[in-house]
Amino acid sequence: MNYLLEARRNALAAEYVLGTLQGGARRRYQQLMMQYSLIRETTWMWEQQINDLSRQLDPVTPEEVVWQKISQRLGFVDVPAGNIVPLVQKKKSAVWQWATGLATAAALILAVVLIRVQTVEVTPPQVAVVQGEKAQALWLIEIDDEIIRVKASDNLQPQLNNDYELWMVAKDGRAPVSLGLLPKSGQLELAKHALFEQVEIVALAVSLEPLGGSPNGLPTTVLYTTELMTL
Amino acid sequence: MEHEEHLKLLQATAESNQEAFAQLYEATSAQMYAVSLKMLKRKEWAEEAVQEAYVKIWHNASEYQTGKGTVLTWMVSIVRYRALDMLRYHKVRGESELFEGDGDSLFNPDGLAEQVPEKLAECIDELDSEQRQAIHLAYFNGLSHGEVGLHLQSPLGTIKSWIRRGLQSLQRCLSI
Repeated sequence: MNYLLEARRNALAAEYVLGTLQGGARRRYQQLMMQYSLIRETTWMWEQQINDLSRQLDPVTPEEVVWQKISQRLGFVDVPAGNIVPLVQKKKSAVWQWATGLATAAALILAVVLIRVQTVEVTPPQVAVVQGEKAQALWLIEIDDEIIRVKASDNLQPQLNNDYELWMVAKDGRAPVSLGLLPKSGQLELAKHALFEQVEIVALAVSLEPLGGSPNGLPTTVLYTTELMTL
Repeated sequence: MEHEEHLKLLQATAESNQEAFAQLYEATSAQMYAVSLKMLKRKEWAEEAVQEAYVKIWHNASEYQTGKGTVLTWMVSIVRYRALDMLRYHKVRGESELFEGDGDSLFNPDGLAEQVPEKLAECIDELDSEQRQAIHLAYFNGLSHGEVGLHLQSPLGTIKSWIRRGLQSLQRCLSI
């Protein structure tokens, strides 16, 4: 199937942005976005058109606590959302261009890495890619007979005051089962939970936790979900 | 004007200027929260999606390019994708009500709100009413094809076709 044909490219981008492209098709599309700049650009075109629809909604001011939690997570101090002094604008175009260039370079490197992973890694029976909102790969997870291997991508921006925890979501509706903490960089091996052979797994989830992992055995803040693909 | 103001704040945010980021939050959070609340319905989930989105925006401010639309549409994309992920997660866990039926209020016969760009409003108005309803339910409520079908009491194939043709019409009308 040629994803670069204009009509097909637009149809997929539109449904991706709308949200009706789901499950495996959505993940495959995210991977295509990493590989083809044309597909990324088509997606942006649709995002900028369709997301203007959101202006139809009446604004709803979130409670103050939302900003407080954001500033806490980012480690800010004393930045109230109200009563802010006007920003004095500075010249910053050089840094801006440099940062944009760096981001583009990082995206290109990622695309190359992804293609290598797809073509070289043929042995593991199951894999999953945990992706961020903008389809950037954050962790690559491979599961074989005994072990879960997790590689953190360079895209991951580790948080010093939190850990990331991996969870298995079973189809039978039981509470998510912790599989262990994810690496913030490099590679880590986790023991494969015995339940893998006993229940049907519908998703893996990644949560943000206090250092050391979930305090109560349940995910605190679910950040991402992904599904296992059998190769 | 709005876009220029947001861009100035986002550029300063990319240089780790916390005050600029706080001002960007002030200027945009009510719109972002409205999008998130409409999709996720529950206040605590909607707040979580907004928090995640702004954390992401702080870290990725330098990745914005004007080719990605206005700063606000770029930010709305981030919160919508986050809300879609959360919605799917909670549905898998059986924690989310399928749909609470508040979408009808969106189908205002008098057309779209003034804030929606004129061309987009015009193109949406030109759609068949079924196509418009199906696209609205998917966009604002994050519904899948199947869920739109349940709500509009139409078969899956029909819904897929309404959405596909509706999007094709929008593409032509908006010259995408």
